[in-house]
Amino acid sequence: MQRMIPVDKLARPEDHILLPANRTRNARSEQGLSPGNAMPYEDDFLKSRMHGICGGEFQAMEAAGRTVYDFPDAPWEFQLDMARQVWDEARHAEIYMKLLEYVGSYYGEFPEGEVLWSCTQAEDPAARVAGINRGLEGLACDVFEQLIRIAQKMGDTVIERSVDYVLADEITHVRMGSQWMRKLTEGDPERFKRAQEFQDRIDDLFNFGPGRKRVEDVDHVKQRVDGKEIEIDNGLTIAREARLLAGFTEEEIDRLVKGFGKSAAY
Amino acid sequence: MPDLGERGNVMGPQPIASIVEPPAAMFAAAEHLLNALMRGDHASVEAMTPPHVRDEMMRVAKEIPANRYDKFEIIGRARVSKHYFLKAQLIGADIEPFKFQFRLGETDGKWTVREALNLTGRRSAWSR
Repeated sequence: MQRMIPVDKLARPEDHILLPANRTRNARSEQGLSPGNAMPYEDDFLKSRMHGICGGEFQAMEAAGRTVYDFPDAPWEFQLDMARQVWDEARHAEIYMKLLEYVGSYYGEFPEGEVLWSCTQAEDPAARVAGINRGLEGLACDVFEQLIRIAQKMGDTVIERSVDYVLADEITHVRMGSQWMRKLTEGDPERFKRAQEFQDRIDDLFNFGPGRKRVEDVDHVKQRVDGKEIEIDNGLTIAREARLLAGFTEEEIDRLVKGFGKSAAY
Repeated sequence: MPDLGERGNVMGPQPIASIVEPPAAMFAAAEHLLNALMRGDHASVEAMTPPHVRDEMMRVAKEIPANRYDKFEIIGRARVSKHYFLKAQLIGADIEPFKFQFRLGETDGKWTVREALNLTGRRSAWSR
């Protein structure tokens, strides 16, 4: 079996549509929408956001599985952690499939993106976990915390509790990534530096330069969700508390807010 | 998945919103495009392609031999807001199926092609 497979080798059903990010950005821009992901003030926000997360969970499951396969010489405990993560991500994908149905959508309604998979393409297991577990799962903490707050405003305990359940796992995955990044690079500062740089690139890629704000600093807009008008964030936020629980430092969080992706491993 | 009956009769959380059905006019435009491609009617294809997409669309059109395919299938669909990505396959009796993907968007009531790519011989995903 080939190692380090490109995104178009991911197994997907024939009726599935997988797109490079620039195609989705073009489609959004042509409709007068911000080029990135659906924003909280858009009508389709909940469906589109949950769809994006669901695709992310599938790719995270595949990525952790690939990590087990791609690095057969990594420590046994590392392989066990990655195998456990495959199981976690599979449960998350199932949860989001159910949540999609709950918000009146289904997996495949929107295209699946490939940008997350591109973040897995590191040939060193230390860089792989730095990018996926610290970079992407850190981003997941931000996205999930915001969804939980929106669900609280909607008074929707189904979304609130489901996403909170998944967030708890993501916090564990970030911690696991930090632990293995340190352990695998012990006594090799150059290797540590390269892993850190790989994560920095991912943080930069998703920082929207700088597009994420502290919860207390973000503006709000009115939006009708589930028949109710609620005030929701007018942009993406940083989940300070969840990131602190995951072990990110205040300094790292500040850097993400300021738009500098550089975050030293703790 | 087995049919478990009416969801509304089942205990537990019910969906809070309904699925967005694609507009019939979008399907009609797709059908029009696919039929024109199968006939080799490049004028009709051009007529529903804005100038900035014309080269891309006509590259695909020229790869389709006229009157060799007699039916089409839309095998995949996904939307980005109100634009639809469609994956279609042309089928003929003595020719390999031709698979391609395109995006349709509506302006002033007219659905036009916004991008197109030949997928024949590729996996289900688009590569860069």
